[in-house]
Amino acid sequence: MNLFPSSIQKMEQALSTSTLKQRVHADNIANVDTANYKSKQVNFQQVMEQASASRMQSYRTNAQHMEFQSGRGASPVTVNHNTTMTPNGNNVDMDFEMAELAKNQLWYNAVTERINGKFSSLSSVINGGR
Amino acid sequence: MSLFNGLNISATGLTANRLRMDVVSSNIANANTNRAELVDGEWVPYRRKTVELSTADASPFAKHLSSAMGQTAAGGGVKASAIREDQTPFPVTYNPDHPDADAEGYVRTSNVDPIQEMVDLMSATRSYEANVTAMNASKSMFMKALEIGK
Repeated sequence: MNLFPSSIQKMEQALSTSTLKQRVHADNIANVDTANYKSKQVNFQQVMEQASASRMQSYRTNAQHMEFQSGRGASPVTVNHNTTMTPNGNNVDMDFEMAELAKNQLWYNAVTERINGKFSSLSSVINGGR
Repeated sequence: MSLFNGLNISATGLTANRLRMDVVSSNIANANTNRAELVDGEWVPYRRKTVELSTADASPFAKHLSSAMGQTAAGGGVKASAIREDQTPFPVTYNPDHPDADAEGYVRTSNVDPIQEMVDLMSATRSYEANVTAMNASKSMFMKALEIGK
């Protein structure tokens, strides 16, 4: 029986993905006036799927057999080359970035609350319900 | 620490936009400067300056590692790559009494357009505010992370 359920690891992954998302949107906002900058996005679902897929292990009968590599997957960060917002080739949509920033912040807070909930129920069990 | 990186990225945006504001201030202050530099014994008016921005990499290592793995790296914000001089011709006015007038009586004045400068100033201010918002978001996320396990 595992003391820390796997959902805590999942949520940890969700937090670190959320952090990556925050960095990418901060980068987009910082580059809002950079000529020919193309905005980047994080595919949240893809990152989570890759994180769970990487737990698959190869069946190795010899120590020299290779492990499965999870590195060469699709990139979680994608660049949107298709649109243009301003005459200088930049395509950062400020309204979209601000909305994503707010959404990401709320999401992060929600996951943090849930982790805290998990920990407090664990500590309740450890203290015998007191 | 990735969250601190978020703060650093927003900080690069703040620095770049502050530089833009400084350059705009310099342009407006020198809108009437007729004697900015002496070239071949002749006074040349002030040339309007603009800031050229480009993306900054988070770290060379992270960038090369990501590109070797066929992935896109999260960037490291923005940097001011150059301050360029606007090469548009100086406007001339006919004023033979002016001490800087040439042989035909024309005076060259600086090519700063105050309207354009004000627009640039507003743009820099708004971008600065947007970076402050992003920075506050990173900060509150970090404060929230500190609450885990309390």
